[in-house]
Amino acid sequence: MVESFFPDNLEKALELRQKKEIRPIAGGTDLMVRWRRPAGILPAFSGDMLFTKNIAEMNILQKKDTCLYIGANTTLAQLIEWKWTPRLLRLALLEMAAPAVRNVGTIAGNICNASPAGDTLPPLYALDAVVCLQGAAGIRELPVSSFITGPGRTVLKRDELLIGIKLFFPAPDNDMVFYKKVAVRRAAAIAKVSLAMRGSKKNGYVKTIAVAIGAVGPTVVRLPEIERLAEGKTVLNAELLKTIYGEYDKFIQPIDDVRSTADYRRQTARNLLHHVYDNCIKWN
Amino acid sequence: MSDFDIGKPVRKVDNDIKLSGQAKYIADFHIDGMLYARTVRADCPRGIIKRIDIPVLPEGYFSVTADDIPGKNIIKFLADDWPFLAKDRVNYFGEAILLIVGPDRAKLLELAGRVYIEYEMIPAILTIKDALSNNFTPIFGSDNKFASYNYEKGDVDRGFSAAFKVVREKYSTGYQKQAYLENQGMIAVPENDGKISVYGSMQCPYYVKNALVQALAVGEEKVRIVQAFTGGGFGGKEDYPSLLAGHAAFAALKTRRPVAVLYEREEDTAYTPRRHPAEVTLETALDREGRILGMKADIKLNGGAYAGISEVVLQRSIYNICGVYNIENLRVTGAAVATNTVPNGAFRGFGAPQVIFAIEMHMESLAKIFSYDVLDYKKRHMAKQGDRTATNGLFYDEIKLPEMIEKAQEVSFYTSKRAAYQADPELHKGIGISLFLHGCGFTGSGERDIIKAQLKLRRKKDSKRVEIFAANVDMGQGLQTTFRKIAASVLDISVADVIFAYPDTDRVPDSGPTVASRSIMIVGRLLQKAAERLKKRWQENNDIEIIQDYEAPERIKWKGGESSGDAYPAYSWGVNVVEVEIDPLTCETSVTGAWSVFDIGQPIDEMIVEGQIQGGMFQGLGYAAMEVMANDENGRSRQNNLTNYTIPTAMDFAPIENHLMKTYYEDGPFGAKGAGELTLLGAAPAYASAVAQAMNIHIAKLPVTPEYIMREASENE
Amino acid sequence: MSEIKFLLNGGNISVNIDPTMRLLDVLRDILGLTGPKEGCGEGECGACSVLVDHKLVNSCIMPAGNVAGHEVLTIEGFSGEMRYKKLADAFAGAGAVQCGFCTPGMILAAEALLNKVPHPDESQIRRAISGNLCRCTGYNMIVQAIRTAAREGAGLW
Ligand SMILES: Cc1cc2nc3c(=O)[nH]c(=O)nc-3n(C[C@H](O)[C@H](O)[C@H](O)COP(=O)(O)OP(=O)(O)OC[C@H]3O[C@@H](n4cnc5c(N)ncnc54)[C@H](O)[C@@H]3O)c2cc1C
Ligand code: FES
Ligand code: FES
Repeated sequence: MVESFFPDNLEKALELRQKKEIRPIAGGTDLMVRWRRPAGILPAFSGDMLFTKNIAEMNILQKKDTCLYIGANTTLAQLIEWKWTPRLLRLALLEMAAPAVRNVGTIAGNICNASPAGDTLPPLYALDAVVCLQGAAGIRELPVSSFITGPGRTVLKRDELLIGIKLFFPAPDNDMVFYKKVAVRRAAAIAKVSLAMRGSKKNGYVKTIAVAIGAVGPTVVRLPEIERLAEGKTVLNAELLKTIYGEYDKFIQPIDDVRSTADYRRQTARNLLHHVYDNCIKWN
Repeated sequence: MSDFDIGKPVRKVDNDIKLSGQAKYIADFHIDGMLYARTVRADCPRGIIKRIDIPVLPEGYFSVTADDIPGKNIIKFLADDWPFLAKDRVNYFGEAILLIVGPDRAKLLELAGRVYIEYEMIPAILTIKDALSNNFTPIFGSDNKFASYNYEKGDVDRGFSAAFKVVREKYSTGYQKQAYLENQGMIAVPENDGKISVYGSMQCPYYVKNALVQALAVGEEKVRIVQAFTGGGFGGKEDYPSLLAGHAAFAALKTRRPVAVLYEREEDTAYTPRRHPAEVTLETALDREGRILGMKADIKLNGGAYAGISEVVLQRSIYNICGVYNIENLRVTGAAVATNTVPNGAFRGFGAPQVIFAIEMHMESLAKIFSYDVLDYKKRHMAKQGDRTATNGLFYDEIKLPEMIEKAQEVSFYTSKRAAYQADPELHKGIGISLFLHGCGFTGSGERDIIKAQLKLRRKKDSKRVEIFAANVDMGQGLQTTFRKIAASVLDISVADVIFAYPDTDRVPDSGPTVASRSIMIVGRLLQKAAERLKKRWQENNDIEIIQDYEAPERIKWKGGESSGDAYPAYSWGVNVVEVEIDPLTCETSVTGAWSVFDIGQPIDEMIVEGQIQGGMFQGLGYAAMEVMANDENGRSRQNNLTNYTIPTAMDFAPIENHLMKTYYEDGPFGAKGAGELTLLGAAPAYASAVAQAMNIHIAKLPVTPEYIMREASENE
Repeated sequence: MSEIKFLLNGGNISVNIDPTMRLLDVLRDILGLTGPKEGCGEGECGACSVLVDHKLVNSCIMPAGNVAGHEVLTIEGFSGEMRYKKLADAFAGAGAVQCGFCTPGMILAAEALLNKVPHPDESQIRRAISGNLCRCTGYNMIVQAIRTAAREGAGLW
């Protein structure tokens, strides 16, 4: 018999996590679908469930100096409306699922679900988001790129919870932002490929650039060392671009699945990548 | 009701019950003591059943197998091959083998999961190519074809021998799932006297009834079928409900309890019939000026594992292969082949969308070869009143295509846009036009020889209210309203004084199925005639009952054996224009405009017709652009829900602007012809033509996905 | 099993259930409210739409535990309101109802939108109903209906 718990603060929640195998459930938009069974039958959850919705510490949404703190339970819809949400992230949120799912689905759920096609991930990677985890041993903070290790896999420990994420503000973007989600239709569709880019220029020089590509490998592809090749340049010459694209190609390793083909994903990811380096960065 | 304009919209009679959530669809029924049934299905595409192990069932739980079927274990269609429950062999992945029945749905799921079935595998036929390869044991007959046809008109060989050029092309189209929002479902209730009542979501109550009479081996009076509110059909609830009703009925008889068979989206998507995939080859002989001297057409439909209604679908494909064009010398061959996949069935358009796509794209290719403007070229070959149809019948009525094309050009700016987009390929924009027709009603002499529709009208003594007794259903297309309007209009009474209950076979005569765009044109006509007779007797102070039987229009002549004559009593016509813009980075298409002009005779309600057009064209655009369904190596659909089988949302296509060209059809009520299916036919070729222009590629396949566009575009480079 | 209390269509309700039970099953099977429909069971079609704290949600993927202490409105509750009447008339007038299976969900999606944006433009309307699939109408007549309701329902939202 599955037992459900509704702790109202983090301490109680972590105590539960420590005591037993218990699965957090936030909005449930991933879990209820994954474990769904036909009408009239309970979902096939095998163990106890920890409802996170009442955990006060996870319901925080605040801007403090240069840091945005987004509590784990913040819904996708709340983030769209929050005035401090970085533009790049908002662009992705607006194209996620549909209103009813966005009203319920949470940022923590999307991150912990760790789908290579998760829509908040490319922007979060590009924005250098940090995830805050708390467990018996205390709090740890990791870049989202180290938190996610593969499809559905994270370094979250058995006794930990994701309590929130941090973003730096003003995000070092806002000169240049590009987001593209490629999907079968305009709404309510999972990405075949997606690309998020932010960058800034100063006196004609590329100051920063961050490019993250979703759904082309087991995790979001972001290559900071390669981005650095472009930094400090006024123009990206053909030779440099060739090197850059060659490096990305090594990581663009998509698969065939029910939504698209590996060939299409590879080519589209390349086209988008070339578009951002060639147009957004080279000429702006 | 003086000054009654039949086309003027009225408030649909069932709006309020649907809007307020009070309408009871089959899954909303609550019947005391009701049990549920869960279907256990084949998990291999083809094999001999060697053993079935059913776990020991707790008290109150039952299994229902082929051995529990009192009568014939064959669903009544044209051929006797499709069993309700597989007994010794299975022919497709997901074929129903047995049912587990009981009160608790979770328990049923668990028990069904413990049924063990052992097969001796047989190599499965998964494609049209395999089906005709002779490398496999046939599934059906000796040639593995459910039906094959050939017919000829004029002198094809002469046409070809005189040819300056012969152009041969192949087109193929994929599956399309009806994806009605309400999944299929039936509830059977055993009555006291050995009778069984079945309620459910359906298009054809008498098909279901006849199927059950045969399967239960009982008299007609022992089977009663009642339609519940039906959440969309589009053809998908024409054939399959017979099977489902059978399952519910066998279970109800065995358990002596009401039994519900309610499909989940997954079962419905993966295991119920879809539109037939097709391969169409067109070979055309042309003279120096590009005039068509003759055409050879070959059509292959993938029928799936059982014959079902594939033969009739094939007929519509082969008789509509010329589209709107007058081809004097024509040879057509066609076959519906058997494969170890889900049996395919009816879907709005019924074999026509596949061939209309092929002929429209082929005409475009021919025009391009001779450097003609596509529309001019099409216009040159268009049929006119008095011309012969593909089957050597006559186009008796006026064909208003020229005016319709003009209207479409005027509202869409087709001509100038076509030229502008051609001039600047960097725009990646395109605009396409399609011309098409739809033969209304059953193909051939079906109405006269098979259906023989009958309708009843009654007015009770001292009542001013009139009741319509007909078996045709409202599944969203508005028949509840349009039928009432027809009767009210003839009798000069208010719509509210016409009663038209959901069909119950104990009360209504067999006015035929709700398919083939026939309800208004054929049954509506019976209704109009009955109402006219009633009107003459209106002053009588008695119960009055009028029985109206179908009579074939005299001008129609059809020789089925030879595929010769008037395959349809009348034709509806359409012109569609679709405009697109393509993102060259991703090959994603935006439909930036869509226009249509239709001739469906007199609309019985302009708003209802508008709804048919909007919905039909939208489904057509889905078919064209995004609805992908394909099988895996077991012949099992890779798409099995609404997440991976994607139908359009409100954000996907530009609004459709529609215009009607009113004509009058003498054998339809108030001049009405069929409208339901026509609306789906033109979107795909118009879309494909637009995409072809935008990316400068040739399109030979539906659906036109970004993956396909990108592949074609890169091969072009 | 837990006792889950929430406000349903204006009244207090308490059910003793497993909190992972789908809200849709609670409504349909336990409480007999069949206005919310199941079209897909996985959040994709919107036929099961209800409002929770005035926001549109898919009840088929909402664990009942998550509505504890919240306010749930189904079509049965909403159909008593003036705003429903305005929407229903607009839907009828625009020919926005065909088979009706998507309709209760569409009405609630429209209500959720108009509550937030009383005078939406076309793209806001399309976005607001983008998770409510309709296979019959092609949506345009629904979009028109919502526009009309917004225009004529001045002051209601
Ligand atoms: C119809 C539909 C469409 C969708 N479309 C999209 C889309 O376009 N793009 C997209 O990216 N996603 C999409 N999704 C997926 C989903 O909505 C999102 O991933 C959402 O953000 C998940 O949030 P949730 O709160 O509902 O997650 P839940 O289902 O509650 O949880 C998801 C996972 O996160 C874990 N988790 C939740 N909170 C915590 C926490 N605080 N600490 C540790 N672990 C936690 C859970 O244990 C679980 O493993 C869609 C889903 C549906 C049903
Ligand atoms: S049934 Fe809930 S979204 Fe489809
Ligand atoms: S009216 Fe049928 S699904 Fe919308």
